[in-house]
Amino acid sequence: MHREFARDFKSLTAIYEFAESILAANDIGKAVRFPVHLAMEELFTNMVKYNPDAEGEIGVDVVVDGGAVTVTLTEVDVDEFDVTQPRDVDTSASLAERTPGGLGLFLLQNIVDKLEYDYHDRRSRVIFTKGSG
Amino acid sequence: MFEIGYGSDGNIMCSGRLDAAQCAKALSFMDEIAETRTLDFSGLEYISSAGLGILLKTQKRLAESGAALKITNVNNHIYDVFRYSGFNSIFDIKAKE
Repeated sequence: MHREFARDFKSLTAIYEFAESILAANDIGKAVRFPVHLAMEELFTNMVKYNPDAEGEIGVDVVVDGGAVTVTLTEVDVDEFDVTQPRDVDTSASLAERTPGGLGLFLLQNIVDKLEYDYHDRRSRVIFTKGSG
Repeated sequence: MFEIGYGSDGNIMCSGRLDAAQCAKALSFMDEIAETRTLDFSGLEYISSAGLGILLKTQKRLAESGAALKITNVNNHIYDVFRYSGFNSIFDIKAKE
Protein backbone atom coordinates (compact mmCIF):
# COMPACT_ATOMS: atom_id res chain seq x y z
CA MET A 1 0.00 0.00 0.00
CA HIS A 2 1.32 3.43 -0.93
CA ARG A 3 0.37 6.93 0.13
CA GLU A 4 1.91 10.38 -0.03
CA PHE A 5 2.00 12.73 2.96
CA ALA A 6 2.59 16.46 3.27
CA ARG A 7 5.93 17.46 4.79
CA ASP A 8 4.44 18.55 8.09
CA PHE A 9 4.41 17.09 11.60
CA LYS A 10 0.63 17.33 11.37
CA SER A 11 0.80 14.40 8.93
CA LEU A 12 1.86 12.08 11.75
CA THR A 13 -1.68 11.14 12.75
CA ALA A 14 -2.60 10.28 9.15
CA ILE A 15 0.60 8.24 8.78
CA TYR A 16 -0.18 6.36 11.98
CA GLU A 17 -3.74 5.62 10.85
CA PHE A 18 -2.56 4.53 7.40
CA ALA A 19 0.00 2.08 8.79
CA GLU A 20 -2.19 0.91 11.67
CA SER A 21 -5.01 -0.08 9.32
CA ILE A 22 -2.62 -2.27 7.32
CA LEU A 23 -0.93 -3.80 10.37
CA ALA A 24 -4.21 -4.54 12.13
CA ALA A 25 -5.70 -6.10 8.99
CA ASN A 26 -2.71 -8.44 8.86
CA ASP A 27 -2.87 -9.36 12.56
CA ILE A 28 0.53 -7.85 13.32
CA GLY A 29 1.02 -7.82 17.11
CA LYS A 30 1.89 -4.81 19.23
CA ALA A 31 5.46 -6.04 19.72
CA VAL A 32 6.01 -5.23 16.03
CA ARG A 33 3.46 -2.44 15.57
CA PHE A 34 4.96 -0.18 18.24
CA PRO A 35 8.50 -0.16 16.79
CA VAL A 36 7.13 0.16 13.24
CA HIS A 37 5.19 3.30 14.19
CA LEU A 38 8.18 4.66 16.11
CA ALA A 39 10.59 4.05 13.23
CA MET A 40 8.17 5.66 10.76
CA GLU A 41 7.84 8.77 12.92
CA GLU A 42 11.57 9.14 13.51
CA LEU A 43 12.29 8.86 9.77
CA PHE A 44 9.44 11.12 8.69
CA THR A 45 10.25 13.88 11.20
CA ASN A 46 13.93 13.61 10.27
CA MET A 47 13.04 14.17 6.61
CA VAL A 48 10.84 17.15 7.48
CA LYS A 49 13.44 18.74 9.77
CA TYR A 50 16.54 18.29 7.65
CA ASN A 51 15.14 19.01 4.21
CA PRO A 52 13.03 22.08 4.97
CA ASP A 53 13.31 23.47 1.44
CA ALA A 54 12.06 20.31 -0.28
CA GLU A 55 8.62 20.80 -1.79
CA GLY A 56 7.41 17.32 -2.73
CA GLU A 57 5.41 15.09 -0.46
CA ILE A 58 6.94 12.09 1.28
CA GLY A 59 5.90 8.69 -0.04
CA VAL A 60 5.23 5.87 2.39
CA ASP A 61 4.89 2.21 1.37
CA VAL A 62 3.91 -0.48 3.86
CA VAL A 63 4.20 -4.15 2.91
CA VAL A 64 3.41 -7.11 5.17
CA ASP A 65 4.89 -10.50 4.34
CA GLY A 66 4.04 -13.12 6.92
CA GLY A 67 5.03 -11.55 10.24
CA ALA A 68 7.50 -9.13 8.70
CA VAL A 69 6.65 -5.50 8.01
CA THR A 70 8.69 -3.56 5.46
CA VAL A 71 8.27 0.20 5.22
CA THR A 72 9.78 2.47 2.58
CA LEU A 73 9.90 6.26 2.86
CA THR A 74 10.80 8.15 -0.30
CA GLU A 75 11.45 11.83 -0.95
CA VAL A 76 12.73 13.56 -4.08
CA ASP A 77 14.90 16.59 -4.78
CA VAL A 78 16.70 16.39 -1.44
CA ASP A 79 20.30 16.29 -0.22
CA GLU A 80 21.89 13.02 0.83
CA PHE A 81 21.45 11.99 4.46
CA ASP A 82 22.40 8.41 5.25
CA VAL A 83 20.33 7.34 8.24
CA THR A 84 22.21 4.06 8.50
CA GLN A 85 25.41 5.79 9.66
CA PRO A 86 26.05 5.04 13.35
CA ARG A 87 24.83 7.71 15.76
CA ASP A 88 27.06 8.54 18.68
CA VAL A 89 24.80 8.71 21.73
CA ASP A 90 26.06 8.21 25.26
CA THR A 91 23.10 6.52 26.94
CA SER A 92 24.99 6.37 30.22
CA ALA A 93 25.42 10.15 30.41
CA SER A 94 24.17 11.88 33.53
CA LEU A 95 21.21 14.23 33.51
CA ALA A 96 23.54 17.24 33.63
CA GLU A 97 25.50 15.98 30.63
CA ARG A 98 22.48 15.33 28.44
CA THR A 99 20.90 17.70 25.97
CA PRO A 100 17.51 17.20 24.31
CA GLY A 101 17.65 15.87 20.74
CA GLY A 102 19.71 13.41 18.78
CA LEU A 103 17.97 10.26 19.98
CA GLY A 104 15.65 9.67 17.03
CA LEU A 105 17.96 7.91 14.59
CA PHE A 106 19.74 6.16 17.45
CA LEU A 107 16.43 4.65 18.54
CA LEU A 108 15.56 3.81 14.95
CA GLN A 109 18.77 1.85 14.50
CA ASN A 110 18.11 -0.09 17.69
CA ILE A 111 14.50 -1.07 17.12
CA VAL A 112 14.39 -2.22 13.50
CA ASP A 113 15.74 -5.54 12.22
CA LYS A 114 17.01 -4.22 8.89
CA LEU A 115 17.73 -0.69 7.70
CA GLU A 116 18.80 0.37 4.21
CA TYR A 117 19.43 3.71 2.54
CA ASP A 118 19.52 4.44 -1.17
CA TYR A 119 20.33 7.81 -2.78
CA HIS A 120 20.63 8.68 -6.42
CA ASP A 121 19.41 11.45 -8.73
CA ARG A 122 18.54 13.46 -5.59
CA ARG A 123 16.03 10.81 -4.59
CA SER A 124 16.33 9.51 -1.04
CA ARG A 125 14.83 6.19 -0.06
CA VAL A 126 14.89 4.55 3.37
CA ILE A 127 13.72 0.97 3.79
CA PHE A 128 13.32 -0.77 7.13
CA THR A 129 12.00 -4.16 8.17
CA LYS A 130 10.66 -5.27 11.52
CA GLY A 131 9.53 -8.75 12.47
CA SER A 132 10.23 -12.16 11.07
CA GLY A 133 8.75 -13.43 7.86
CA MET B 1 -4.60 12.34 20.21
CA PHE B 2 -2.66 13.19 23.36
CA GLU B 3 -4.14 14.37 26.64
CA ILE B 4 -2.41 15.66 29.76
CA GLY B 5 -3.84 16.97 33.02
CA TYR B 6 -3.90 16.58 36.79
CA GLY B 7 -5.62 13.57 38.33
CA SER B 8 -7.49 13.62 41.63
CA ASP B 9 -4.38 12.27 43.41
CA GLY B 10 -2.20 15.13 42.15
CA ASN B 11 -0.42 12.97 39.65
CA ILE B 12 -0.15 14.13 36.06
CA MET B 13 -2.20 11.85 33.85
CA CYS B 14 -0.97 11.33 30.30
CA SER B 15 -2.91 9.42 27.66
CA GLY B 16 -2.82 8.72 23.95
CA ARG B 17 0.17 9.18 21.73
CA LEU B 18 2.97 11.62 22.52
CA ASP B 19 4.47 12.18 19.08
CA ALA B 20 6.23 15.15 17.51
CA ALA B 21 2.93 16.77 16.58
CA GLN B 22 1.84 16.84 20.26
CA CYS B 23 5.02 18.24 21.78
CA ALA B 24 3.86 21.85 21.94
CA LYS B 25 0.85 20.77 24.01
CA ALA B 26 2.99 18.63 26.31
CA LEU B 27 5.68 21.29 26.75
CA SER B 28 3.13 24.00 27.49
CA PHE B 29 1.85 21.90 30.41
CA MET B 30 5.27 20.76 31.59
CA ASP B 31 6.61 24.31 31.70
CA GLU B 32 4.14 25.08 34.50
CA ILE B 33 5.45 22.30 36.76
CA ALA B 34 7.62 23.69 39.54
CA GLU B 35 7.89 20.85 42.06
CA THR B 36 8.39 17.09 42.17
CA ARG B 37 5.52 15.38 40.37
CA THR B 38 4.61 11.89 39.20
CA LEU B 39 3.59 11.34 35.60
CA ASP B 40 1.05 8.53 35.34
CA PHE B 41 1.49 6.83 31.97
CA SER B 42 -1.26 4.24 32.46
CA GLY B 43 -3.12 5.70 29.48
CA LEU B 44 -0.11 6.56 27.38
CA GLU B 45 0.24 4.18 24.44
CA TYR B 46 3.22 5.62 22.62
CA ILE B 47 6.14 8.03 22.88
CA SER B 48 8.80 9.01 20.35
CA SER B 49 12.15 10.77 20.69
CA ALA B 50 10.30 14.11 20.47
CA GLY B 51 8.40 13.21 23.64
CA LEU B 52 11.60 12.08 25.32
CA GLY B 53 13.04 15.50 24.59
CA ILE B 54 10.17 17.17 26.47
CA LEU B 55 10.69 14.90 29.46
CA LEU B 56 14.44 15.52 29.48
CA LYS B 57 14.07 19.29 29.17
CA THR B 58 11.62 19.34 32.09
CA GLN B 59 13.76 17.05 34.23
CA LYS B 60 16.82 19.25 33.71
CA ARG B 61 14.88 22.40 34.62
CA LEU B 62 13.40 20.83 37.76
CA ALA B 63 16.78 19.45 38.84
CA GLU B 64 18.07 23.01 39.20
CA SER B 65 15.69 23.46 42.16
CA GLY B 66 16.12 19.96 43.55
CA ALA B 67 12.83 18.67 42.16
CA ALA B 68 12.22 15.81 39.74
CA LEU B 69 9.71 14.06 37.54
CA LYS B 70 8.82 10.48 38.42
CA ILE B 71 7.06 8.22 35.93
CA THR B 72 4.72 5.37 36.79
CA ASN B 73 2.54 2.79 35.02
CA VAL B 74 4.78 2.64 31.96
CA ASN B 75 3.81 0.02 29.37
CA ASN B 76 6.50 -2.41 28.26
CA HIS B 77 6.94 -0.83 24.81
CA ILE B 78 7.53 2.63 26.24
CA TYR B 79 9.74 1.12 28.93
CA ASP B 80 11.91 -0.36 26.16
CA VAL B 81 12.26 3.11 24.62
CA PHE B 82 13.36 4.48 28.00
CA ARG B 83 15.83 1.63 28.39
CA TYR B 84 17.35 2.04 24.91
CA SER B 85 17.73 5.77 25.61
CA GLY B 86 19.24 5.29 29.04
CA PHE B 87 16.38 7.28 30.56
CA ASN B 88 15.91 4.59 33.20
CA SER B 89 19.03 5.96 34.87
CA ILE B 90 17.93 9.61 34.96
CA PHE B 91 14.24 9.11 35.81
CA ASP B 92 12.55 7.14 38.58
CA ILE B 93 10.46 4.84 36.37
CA LYS B 94 7.98 2.19 37.42
CA ALA B 95 6.56 -0.23 34.86
CA LYS B 96 2.87 -1.00 34.61
CA GLU B 97 1.94 -4.04 36.70
